[in-house]
Amino acid sequence: MSKLLDKPLKTFTLYALFILACSIPAYYLVVDYIWLNELDEHNEIIRTRMEQGLNDIDIDEQTLAQTLNVWNNVQPGTTIAPALPNDVREDSIYTASKLNIYSDDGEIDRFRGLQTYLNIYGRPYKLTIETNVEEVDETLFAIALITFLFFGFLVLGFILLNRRISGQVWLPFKKTLDKLKDFDLNKQSEVVFDKTDIEEFEELQTVLKQLIQNNASVYLRQKQFSENASHELQTPLALLKSKLDMMLQDDTLSEAQYEKISSLNLPLSRVSRINKNLLLLAKLENQQFDESFPIDLGALIDETTSLLADQAEARDISTVLKIDHQTMVTGNKYLVEIMLTNLLVNAIRHNVSGGAVAIDLTDRVLTISNSGSKPLKEERLFQRFGNASPDNPSSGLGLSIVREICQRYNWKIRYDFKDGLHTFSATF
Amino acid sequence: MGKALGAWRKHAFKIYSEFVGYFTAMKILIIEDEQELAQNIADYLSGESYLCEHAATFGQAIDKIESFSYDCILLDLMLPGGSGLEILESLKKQNKQEGVIIISAKNAIDDKVKGLQIGADDYLAKPFHLSELSARVYSIIRRKQFGNSNIVRQNELEIDLLGKTVKVANQVINLTKKEFDLLLFFVGNKNRVISKSALAEHLSGDLADMLDNHDFVYAHIKNLKKKLNEVHCDNHLKTVYGTGYKWEG
Repeated sequence: MSKLLDKPLKTFTLYALFILACSIPAYYLVVDYIWLNELDEHNEIIRTRMEQGLNDIDIDEQTLAQTLNVWNNVQPGTTIAPALPNDVREDSIYTASKLNIYSDDGEIDRFRGLQTYLNIYGRPYKLTIETNVEEVDETLFAIALITFLFFGFLVLGFILLNRRISGQVWLPFKKTLDKLKDFDLNKQSEVVFDKTDIEEFEELQTVLKQLIQNNASVYLRQKQFSENASHELQTPLALLKSKLDMMLQDDTLSEAQYEKISSLNLPLSRVSRINKNLLLLAKLENQQFDESFPIDLGALIDETTSLLADQAEARDISTVLKIDHQTMVTGNKYLVEIMLTNLLVNAIRHNVSGGAVAIDLTDRVLTISNSGSKPLKEERLFQRFGNASPDNPSSGLGLSIVREICQRYNWKIRYDFKDGLHTFSATF
Repeated sequence: MGKALGAWRKHAFKIYSEFVGYFTAMKILIIEDEQELAQNIADYLSGESYLCEHAATFGQAIDKIESFSYDCILLDLMLPGGSGLEILESLKKQNKQEGVIIISAKNAIDDKVKGLQIGADDYLAKPFHLSELSARVYSIIRRKQFGNSNIVRQNELEIDLLGKTVKVANQVINLTKKEFDLLLFFVGNKNRVISKSALAEHLSGDLADMLDNHDFVYAHIKNLKKKLNEVHCDNHLKTVYGTGYKWEG
């Protein structure tokens, strides 16, 4: 993933590279044009000066010829020679590359030449002036070098500026993001964003605020709905239960009828259990039960275990307790009781006949293990109705309630299967 | 002629006993908006020589409470026209001595604590077994009626509620806590058929609906019967239809 500001930076850098690269030939052409123009002018000046100078000095023809000879030898860039009147043509300008005869490494120099005809004492002379001009590659190299140097400065500047801008400009965005990260729909707390003077961020905050408010109210309604629905179910359930009780009082019942009626109690109590657990979950989510006190966990475990002793006995399950009675946890007693009960009831219910339940509380870790045959899928275990099946009489909510309670108090709950033992461990 | 006279006498006696019963029977007010549930409760409790009246709304309830006095009031918290807690408050303001059992669909701890703080004597969350309700009504009326006496006499049994002991002809029976609870439950539900599941729920309280095996009830009942038998107590505890129980007395 790349950062948002790095994306334009890359494009800007590439664009700058392209433009600067295009500028290299442009600069070259301009520099070369100016240079050549300048040299042409220079050559022209030399020509005028020579023509005037030679016409002005008063020497005879022979001396002139000698002088020109010497000149031609000393100044090989300028050659002046008599020409036939028929040869006189228009001035011509040219560029030529020649081997530098004074250099050892066979350097090739570029020259700008002017071929012109002078009129000295009424006779035509052919004058060739060649002036050294910078070579194409050298000019190009110098321009490119400087261009790339500046390109480097440009990129460096981009990066530094970018870093500063992202720090400053994106600060409100980051703050908004942090606020969102801290937001918990469950807590029903309002999100207050810092004020920003940037229009886009302001808009973002407004939209986010609206989104959160809408979601929060939908969520609240949803939760209230499940709470209300569970409440509404209690009364018809109560009616059903009382009707069954009344039917049992009928003297004319046959034993078979009695059996049928009283067997309705079990599914009915399962419905009540599911309903009660749904209600509990809704309340947990609604952040009820918020008062908490220190609880003597060991004593609570003893209490719960003794309540379940009948059940364990009925299934011939032995219970082994190893409890550190100094363990205090802080929480809502009702919730901790429910958590313990759910775990213990599970350990008994999903046990094998004649199996064992081991309860161990040491170093603020509670481990409850029970005999079992095969490991369970941990990811489904804590889900609502994750393990529910027609032949499983559980409500399918017990462990989700346990997890919910643990989450509330930041306790850790884990499941393991080892050596034929299902083990749930809670770290307080 | 004699036959007709006999029938008339029988009839007259019935009217007379109902008349006397009206003044001697325990009066119970059921404040509950669900008509049928109230009717079921009334039917179940009437057999216990309780006299039941019904108020379906907040207004009716307030009227009845102001005009009459009752031995026990069963109070639903969510009523058309107002909250049951307000009724409770007004009862306490009038210094009425009625025993109050809150029967509510809300099993909310808050309501429970609040209700008991204001002065309710007990709290029973819906749905409940009628036998559980009856046992609680019995216990409240007994408490109100006999004041400080903690001895309940049932047939030849003498039950000391405070000492949690049971005597038959001055012979102490050693009952476990659960057996003692069961005995009281039966006494509170005389001549009623009680299902195994109601007994299981009574014995395991809040845990009850998490249990799918109610067989542990057998063991306790068997032991209770055995212990009563050992002191030559008559067999009042009858098994009906195989899995139901009934205390005849």
